[in-house]
Amino acid sequence: MNDECLLAAALSAVPRLGTRRLSAMLAVQSPSKAMEMLGREAPGAQEIAAMKQKLEDGEMSVSYIGAHDFPALLVDDVARPSVLFYRGDLNVLQQRRVGIVGTRSATAAGRYMASHLAYDLSEQGVAIVSGLARGIDAWAHKGVLLALDRDTKSHDGKISARDSHCGQAIAIVASGLDVTYPKENAELWKFVAENGLLLTESPPGTMPEAFRFPLRNRILAALSEVLVVIESHAKGGSMITVEEAQRRDISVMAVPGSPRALSSAGTNLLLQQGCAPVVDATDVMVALGLDNRRNHPQVFDSRRTPSAQDQELISQMRGEAVTLDQLLMRTSTDLVQTALALGRLESEGWVVNNAGWWEVLGRGC
Amino acid sequence: MAFSSVRSSTLLGVQGKAVDVEIHVGMGLPGFTIVGQPDEACRESRDRVRAALLSCDLPWPNRRITVNLATSVHERKGGAGLDVAIAIGLLIVQDILPNEIAERYAFIAELGLDGTLRPVAGVVPLVAAIDDRIVVVANECEREARIAARDEVVCAQTLAHLVKCLTGEAAWIPAPTSTQVRTIINAAPPIIDMKDVRGQSAARQALEIAAAGAHHLLFVGPPGAGKSMLAQRVSGILPVLTDEEAVATTIVHSAAQVSLPQTGIITLPPFRAPHHSTSLVAMVGGGTSTMRPGEISLATNGVLFLDELGEFAPTVLDALRQPLEDGVVRLARAKSSITMPARFLLIAATNPCPCGEGMPGVCVCDDSAKKRYLRRFSGPLLDRFDLRVAVSRPHVDELLADTPAESSAAIAKRVLHVREMAMLRSGCLNSSLSADMLDEFAPLTTSAAALLRYHLERGRLSGRGYHRIRRVARTIADLQSANNRSIENGIENSTDQIDEAHVATALALRVGVHPQLSGDRL
Repeated sequence: MNDECLLAAALSAVPRLGTRRLSAMLAVQSPSKAMEMLGREAPGAQEIAAMKQKLEDGEMSVSYIGAHDFPALLVDDVARPSVLFYRGDLNVLQQRRVGIVGTRSATAAGRYMASHLAYDLSEQGVAIVSGLARGIDAWAHKGVLLALDRDTKSHDGKISARDSHCGQAIAIVASGLDVTYPKENAELWKFVAENGLLLTESPPGTMPEAFRFPLRNRILAALSEVLVVIESHAKGGSMITVEEAQRRDISVMAVPGSPRALSSAGTNLLLQQGCAPVVDATDVMVALGLDNRRNHPQVFDSRRTPSAQDQELISQMRGEAVTLDQLLMRTSTDLVQTALALGRLESEGWVVNNAGWWEVLGRGC
Repeated sequence: MAFSSVRSSTLLGVQGKAVDVEIHVGMGLPGFTIVGQPDEACRESRDRVRAALLSCDLPWPNRRITVNLATSVHERKGGAGLDVAIAIGLLIVQDILPNEIAERYAFIAELGLDGTLRPVAGVVPLVAAIDDRIVVVANECEREARIAARDEVVCAQTLAHLVKCLTGEAAWIPAPTSTQVRTIINAAPPIIDMKDVRGQSAARQALEIAAAGAHHLLFVGPPGAGKSMLAQRVSGILPVLTDEEAVATTIVHSAAQVSLPQTGIITLPPFRAPHHSTSLVAMVGGGTSTMRPGEISLATNGVLFLDELGEFAPTVLDALRQPLEDGVVRLARAKSSITMPARFLLIAATNPCPCGEGMPGVCVCDDSAKKRYLRRFSGPLLDRFDLRVAVSRPHVDELLADTPAESSAAIAKRVLHVREMAMLRSGCLNSSLSADMLDEFAPLTTSAAALLRYHLERGRLSGRGYHRIRRVARTIADLQSANNRSIENGIENSTDQIDEAHVATALALRVGVHPQLSGDRL
C-alpha cells in the first residue's frame, strides 16, 4: 500500500470533510498536499496508523480520485466519490457491465429471473453490477457464481475463475468492507471479493446506516452501462437507482410483471414511461450492442417439455402466484388430477411452491 | 352415639375419589375442626354447615366436633361438595337420623346458609366415583348426575326436605327417566352449515379429509379469506359422539365446570377455540388443587381450534406436542400426578407473514421478516399438522354465486362412512394407523412409492411427515371410494392400494409454510 493511498483513506474518515470537498481537493493535488492544506483538521499520526492497521486486517485496497487506477467512469461523474475501498480487481470494470437490481421481497419467479439473466449474461462475458442486498441483488450474483463455476469445471479446473471468459461480479456495498451486511450473504460477499470486485466508498468500520444505501445506488448506476430492474415496488431502493441512472443517461430496462403484483408495480411503471422491456438475455445484449443471436444457439433448457395437458395448467398459472384453490377454480378440474399434475411439474422444475402459493419458473414452455 | 361415617367424593383432574367423611363429637371445649388435608373451600364448610342446620331448625351439638376426610391416598381434598355429608353425619351423631342412612346413601352437594342444596362442579365424575350407594345431589345437577350411568340418583331441595325424605316423611323430587333425556339430546341440530362457505374448494376438501381421518389441519392465509369460518363448521361434519365418547366428554366438561347443554350430556363433538392469550395451565390443565382440565382435555373427542396460531406463546404451543402424539396429557405436581384425556382434532389458522398477505408479489415483507415470523411455530409442531393448506380470498364470482355449496349433512355422510370403514378395517381412525399397520392397510403402488421417494430424497419430508402423508393418502382414497360407490351399498372392507394420485393430493395439501428462498435449480 503506498503512502498516498493510506493518506487518502485517512482523509476519507475525517468526519467534517464531505465527499464533495475532498474530491475537489484530491482532484487537483495529492493527498499529502491536501493534508498540509487542512492543517489542524488533518488526521494525526495515530489515526493514520489505525487506518493502516484496519486496511491491512481487512485486505482492502484504496483508490482516490487523483490516482492513476481510479475508475475513469467515476472521475467525471456528477456526484463522484472521492476515495474508494475495494477488494478484488479494478480491471473487472473493463468488461461490459450490466446492473441488475430489484426488491428484497421478491417472488420465486423474480429470483429465478434474476439468477438466470445474470447467468446468461455472464456466459456472454458481461459483468454484473449489483448491490449484494437480499432478494434480487443476491440472486443476480448467485447466477454469476454458477456461470463461473460451470465454466471452470468445463475446463477441468485448469483455469481460475478470474481467467474465465465469463463476466465477473461487481458489487457496490453501503457499509465498510469489514462489516458484512446482510449476514446471510457472507459467502457471496467472499466470492465477489475473490473473483470480481467488491467496492464501497465507506471507510472500514462504517455501519450500514439507512442513508448510505441511496448513496451507494448512485455508484451502482454510474458503473452500469445498462440497468435492468427485475422486480420493484412503486417506491424503494431500486427506483432510486433508476433515477440515478436516468440522471447519467444510462439506459434502464425492466422485466414486465403481472399488473396485480405489487412487487412488479415499479417495473410496470417504468415500462409505461417508455423504458425497454427485458424478457431474456438477448434483449440486454441488443441494448449493449452485442447481438449474439448468430453465434450462439438458444439457451438450452434442461427441463423436459410437459404434456399438452400440463402446459394448459402452466398457462393458467402464468403471471402471478396462485393458491391451489384459485387453480382449481380456474381449471375446473378436480383436486386429485391437479395435484398429480402439479407434482409432475414440480419434479421437472417448471413450477415451485412458495409458502403455499404456486409459481411458474422462467418463461414456461 | 359419638361417631359416624358418611360417604361423599372429591375431584382430582377428571376423576372423582370416594371420601369417607368421619365425624366425631365428644367432650371438650365446643369447637369444630376439619382434618385430612382439606382445602380452603372445604374448611369454610364449617360455617356453612352450622348456618344451614340452624336455618332448618335442626340441632347443633355444642360439643367438640372433629371431621376427618379419609381416603385411601393422602392428598388434598377440595371443593364444597362435602357439606351435606358433614351435615348428615352430624345429624346421625345426634340420633336424629338412623345410622343405616350412611350405609345406603352418599351425598354430593354444597349447602347454602338457608339450608338449600347447591350444585357443585364435576358432578358427573363425583357421582361416578361412588358405586354402592344411592347418591343424593342438588336438584339442579340431577340430569348431570344421571349421566354417570346410574339410576340411583335422588335429589332434594333443602336440608330439611332431605331429612324428611331420608326418614320417609316426604317424597324425593321426581325425575325424568333416562330414555326421555336421550330423546331430547339427539334433536339438537348443528347451527352453522358448510353451504355458507363459497368457493374455497381445496380448503373444503382439506376440512373433509381432516374430519374423516382425524388429521390435524393448518390453514394459512390472508385476513378475510375465511379460515375461521371454515374451521367453525368442522363440528357440523363430524359424526355425533358415541355413548362412551359422550360420557367421557361430559365428565371432562363437568369437572371443568363448563356449562353443559340443557339435556346434561354432550352429544355433539365439542368445539373449543381458546383465545391466543391463553396461559399454559389453561391450555393443558392443572393450576388449582383439584387440577382443573385444560382446553385440550375439554376438546377431547372434538375440535381444538387455535386461531392466529402465531400469537400463542411458544411454550403453550409446544406443550401440545406430547398430547398430540399420545392422546392423553399427564400432569405431575408435588402432591399428585394425574392423566387426563386429550384426544382432539387440532385445527389452526395463521397468517403467512407479518403483513398478512403472503402471496408472492403482493406481500411486502422481506425474507428475513418472514423467517422471524415463522420462527414462532416450532418445526416439530408444524410437522404434526397432516394437512397444511393455503387459503386465498374467494373470487367475487364465487362469493356472489347463487348456488349454495354442498351442505354439512352431505359431507357428514361421507365422513361417517369413511370413519366406519376405517374402524372396520383397522380398528382405529386413519390418523392413528401405526407404521406397520400402514403397510398392511395402505399399501403403495410402485408409482406412489416413487413419488414419495422423490420428496424424501429432496429433504421435503421428514420420517414423521412420510407416515403422515401415507395416512392422509389412505383417507383420500377412502373418500374417493365413498364417492364412487354409493354409500347406501353399505360398508366394504377395502384395503385397495394407494396410488400416485392419492399421494400427490396429500402432498399438495401439505405445503411448506416457509418461503421458498431458492431462485431456481440451475
